[in-house]
Amino acid sequence: MTSSDSPSPSLDWSTLRNSQPRFSGMESGHGACQGCGQALATRLVLEAAGPDVIVANATGCLEIFTTPWPQSAWTVPWIHSLFENAAAVAAGIEVALRAQGRTTKVLAFAGDGGTFDIGFQALSGMLERNHEVLFVCFDNEAYMNTGIQRSGSTPHGAWTNTSPAGKVRQGKRHFKKDLLAIIAAHGIPYAATASVAYPSDLRNKVRRALDVSGPSFLLLHSPCPLGWGHDSALTISVDRLAVETGLFPVLEMERGHVVTTMKIRNPRPVREYAEPQFRFRHLLQDTPEAREELEHLQALADANIERYGLLATEPGPRDTEGADTVRRGGSRWG
Amino acid sequence: MREALEGSQAIARAVALCRPQVVAAYPITPQTHIVEGLARLIADGLLAAELVSVESEFSAASVVLGAAAAGSRSYTASASQGILLMSEVLYNISGLRIPVVLTCANRAVSSPVSIWNDHQDSMAVRDSGWIQLHCADNQEAVDTTIQAFRISERTELPVMVCVDGFTLTHTLEPIDLPDAAQVDAFLPPFRFSRTLSSSAPLSQGTLVSPEFFTEMRFLQHEAFARAEKEILSADRDWAGFVGRDCGGLLRVEGDREASVAILAMGSVYGTLKDAHRSGLLGRPVRLLSLRAFRPFPAGAIREATQGLSDLIVLDRSLSPGSGGIVAHEIRSALYGMAKGPRVVNFAVGLGGRNVPGEIFREMLESLEKDPPSFSIFDLDPRKLPDPGLDAATEMPSSGPVLSPR
Amino acid sequence: MGIERNSPFSPPRVTPGGFALPGTSRTNHTGSWRQERPLYETSPSPCHGACPAHEEIPVYLDHLAMDRPRQAWESLVAANPLPAVTGRVCPHPCESSCHRGSFDEAISIHSVERFLGDMALREGWSYPGFDGEQREEAVAVVGAGPAGLSCAYHLRRFGYRVTLFDALPEAGGTCRVIPDYRLPGEILSREVERVLAVGIDFRPGMKLGRDLSLAELEEGFKAVFLAPGRQKNRGYSVDHALPGDLHHGLDLLWELRNIGTLPRWERAIVVGGGNTAIDLARSLLRTGTREVHVVTDEELPGAPSQAGRGVMPAISREVGMALEEGVRIHPGRRIGRLILRDERVVGVELVHALKEFEGQTPVHRAFVGTETVLEADAVIPAVGQEVDSAGIERLLQNRTMLPVLPTGQVEGESRIFAGGDACPGGGIVSHAVGSGHHGARMIDALLRKKELSPKTPPSPIPYSSLNRVYFEQRPAYVPLEVSPEARDGFSEIETTGSFAVLRQEADRCFSCGHCLECDNCWTLCPDGAVLKTGGRSDLPFPYIFDYDYCKGCGLCAQECPSGHIRMVPES
Repeated sequence: MTSSDSPSPSLDWSTLRNSQPRFSGMESGHGACQGCGQALATRLVLEAAGPDVIVANATGCLEIFTTPWPQSAWTVPWIHSLFENAAAVAAGIEVALRAQGRTTKVLAFAGDGGTFDIGFQALSGMLERNHEVLFVCFDNEAYMNTGIQRSGSTPHGAWTNTSPAGKVRQGKRHFKKDLLAIIAAHGIPYAATASVAYPSDLRNKVRRALDVSGPSFLLLHSPCPLGWGHDSALTISVDRLAVETGLFPVLEMERGHVVTTMKIRNPRPVREYAEPQFRFRHLLQDTPEAREELEHLQALADANIERYGLLATEPGPRDTEGADTVRRGGSRWG
Repeated sequence: MREALEGSQAIARAVALCRPQVVAAYPITPQTHIVEGLARLIADGLLAAELVSVESEFSAASVVLGAAAAGSRSYTASASQGILLMSEVLYNISGLRIPVVLTCANRAVSSPVSIWNDHQDSMAVRDSGWIQLHCADNQEAVDTTIQAFRISERTELPVMVCVDGFTLTHTLEPIDLPDAAQVDAFLPPFRFSRTLSSSAPLSQGTLVSPEFFTEMRFLQHEAFARAEKEILSADRDWAGFVGRDCGGLLRVEGDREASVAILAMGSVYGTLKDAHRSGLLGRPVRLLSLRAFRPFPAGAIREATQGLSDLIVLDRSLSPGSGGIVAHEIRSALYGMAKGPRVVNFAVGLGGRNVPGEIFREMLESLEKDPPSFSIFDLDPRKLPDPGLDAATEMPSSGPVLSPR
Repeated sequence: MGIERNSPFSPPRVTPGGFALPGTSRTNHTGSWRQERPLYETSPSPCHGACPAHEEIPVYLDHLAMDRPRQAWESLVAANPLPAVTGRVCPHPCESSCHRGSFDEAISIHSVERFLGDMALREGWSYPGFDGEQREEAVAVVGAGPAGLSCAYHLRRFGYRVTLFDALPEAGGTCRVIPDYRLPGEILSREVERVLAVGIDFRPGMKLGRDLSLAELEEGFKAVFLAPGRQKNRGYSVDHALPGDLHHGLDLLWELRNIGTLPRWERAIVVGGGNTAIDLARSLLRTGTREVHVVTDEELPGAPSQAGRGVMPAISREVGMALEEGVRIHPGRRIGRLILRDERVVGVELVHALKEFEGQTPVHRAFVGTETVLEADAVIPAVGQEVDSAGIERLLQNRTMLPVLPTGQVEGESRIFAGGDACPGGGIVSHAVGSGHHGARMIDALLRKKELSPKTPPSPIPYSSLNRVYFEQRPAYVPLEVSPEARDGFSEIETTGSFAVLRQEADRCFSCGHCLECDNCWTLCPDGAVLKTGGRSDLPFPYIFDYDYCKGCGLCAQECPSGHIRMVPES
């Protein structure tokens, strides 16, 4: 048996790290939690976006864990201003670049709080004014940085510290805000959703978004092991289930019209998605209330599948089981 | 060349002469004419700038933050609620040490709603880390606007040019607008030392632990000490081009040897000067126009108040439960000064109430009657509620719910 | 003011606006958070565990999938020098154990093996690994069947001088009697010749007990490997009755090999359920016997079986083809009585029977009152062979097979090793190859005065360790066969697939316990703690963990499709 526990003592780690065949926009040594979906998603987005970008980052975990002064994990020009203004700061950067004749791409990064809630107005304004900015929302469905409070993106029935499950309440009473429909109403050239469980799809969407002229939007489902209460090793598996249950539809829109969807080859019951997550644990109890809420969650997933026509009629290379399959030989990501 | 111009139009022309690349603003009375003027200049091809008509003042401030961080000279204007809405961003811009110029068309702050002039808005953000320069007239507004870009870019501190709403912004005055060559010679193209760029990819807006926060704040504070010098040199250098100055940090005029002085900020100073010139004051008075509220020029104030027995400080804003804001700072600047003057603080002209030339004489006369350290001078007690009357008319009142009998 | 007073280093100097320099987080070694560390660890695949020749199947499948056929073959022959032979005749237990079989269909491993074997013959590739140190010690190998050839080959790779003895004029052993439609003689000859050409001193026509003795071997060589096979027909009679012109099955197959034809009968009955019986039955049909019956008290392979029932040991696929070709098999029957006229067979009495196992011991039962008569003009026993005791009486001591220890040594001997069909547990070519390899390794250890420690095969990686979501169902390659109607004489039935299709087939491999180099770990690590090694030869795998930053989240291990990453507690 060969194992890797004894690396070559002469290994020059720095050289090896600097010669990796990919662009590293966010470096190691950041302080994200183990298995952080957002840290992974950010690295993937920047790999696809490439070095010639400027990032405007909203307040949140990402900003905190990447930049404890004097350290920074970023290798791209990066600015954090406030919680609610990433879109506006990005818009300002974009007009400045346009005024100066620079072609650098501008990205805005925010969590779901900075997108669905407090940052929503600035986002809407940025989209309406047609700034050439890619706004990426890392959607982990609650205020995680402040200690897991519910947001407009928190799914129905999910436990958070401000939507606790108790004797008379089964987690969040309201529904996940249909942000996509609102984004669609802006009629922007390109909007998409993606999941960290499908990195190729995710990166293709980043590239496509940066290719369009005008604003683009990417809703990126990124599990939070701490806030969702799942094992740090399960980040990808859990998010795959988010897609395969229909709870998080993966799709692309152009000018507000859905143009592609990631079809679900074999829809999975929401119970499977709920089981590994603490935030849904109360729905698995054997009580009428819990059963009803779990069925409700299932109905919401089914409604998504119906609304976006997510059911695959035949296996395809880009459906939930065809996308991101293995390619051997170190060339999978091209 | 002197032209008769509305204050807002003059400011817009001055801004345009500074060649900003990005202008972002959200409409609010009485700032609107400035931005409309800039929009027309852009529409006519007289100014090559990106005008971003944002969806809120919050975004206006955020856009200029981003634009300046990306290396473009950037400008915004607002007032009142707009200033308060952007206040979080104002702190942020300053902390990030990003050079930006903002015109505050000073206006009262709701509630009650008032669209008219006082200084409550800029006072609300006096601790946000912005340089605040007040203008006594529209010529000063033009000259200060031009100077503001140089001061901001040299100090890496944002500058708020405070211009009284309506009183100045909507008033037609003969203005001497400089020509482009003068401004270009005074104000070189903008280069930001930390421009967002892939070639030097810095991270800005980091999390700073208690171990370093104090030193970061000290850097910001220290920059204001240096800013005093930049304000003075900008005023002096600009005077070299146009032959007039704005008084540097603090303008001292009137009867230099008088034992009484009146200190004002903004357009009230113009009224005061006129009253002095027309003999309405009835006695020799030293006139002080405080231009720089931030940095607060304590040294200049101590020097300018030498030999005074009484100093009347006018405030156009109110810190409810405390008093006038300018006076507090003046008192603190003069504290411990040997033979320092008595400081009498009057708030006047809140929410746009007219401050007539005659009022100053009344103030001076009141000094004989041992006035309180603070009062609202133009308060009309007849308009206040009568407690006896209230009870009779069953005015709604708040308080505990009384248990039913 | 007391910042870092006791620190020998100055604190960092604050910057205007609190800017930070790019990538400086690398000074923060987040690996200190770790409670478990991931390890890249190659584990045995189930196919490897099942392969009697111990082939590293995922390794050569990977090479082929990556368009490196020569490296694939070189990896294959590091275990088995006769892939064109085993690719044809091995019943491929590897495929039965293949985890892909639990997902969709097992990899057609034998087709790949056969393809690589044939490609090497066509391209004239020679064996790698013979350029090492040459050693003085001489070793004798007796028997040039697959076990002896394999042992000699591996001993040569280790650098020993090898003399290979065989009683017959040609090397190849029992493989020689496999009919051409399964294994063309030419293929066998070419692979055998290539083995002999690695510097083996081959002495044909030397029979132990006749032309040389064990004592001479012990005298002249440092070690001896015995692979005499089973050459002696097991005695056959029915109630002591025997036809006068009795032919044994194996003898007839040798006859077919040597003179190219067989006697023709009207109706021949072959007795037995093994490969010899099936090979002979099908060969008889091909040489003009009108009707061929096979009688066995075992069950057909694949029949709904009760526990403990004996099943025909012949390769099930061959049994199936025999039936397709018209061989009539009578399972669960035995011959109760030979019907003889003047010592000539005219028929047999068949009786319902079964073979059961009580523990390891076979028990044959027959049921009176179930007799039927089958006319026939020949009854040919193909009931197995025994070890010829000539020259090895001392080792056998009245046992039917050579007793060997796990070290490959014959019981009670230190320098005499044995393998192949003469030892218990044999019976298929790849097993013989594996036992020869094992013998060579143990002899090497003996001669280097190292401990003879036979590897206990570690248990193969379980199916549950794979992350199957990264694979899609895809049908297996089905080898092309000549249809039963079109089978003509002794030309080969199965054909070798093309490079393109077999490369695709190899690519279906899960690579259980091996690195697929799929980039999952590299791509999915939230901490950028997986680095590509870029083909550096001093590093064992395509990736390496940078433990300075690995926080031990376990995501890589979870998402590794092939179970090549294991989490272990941090010490």
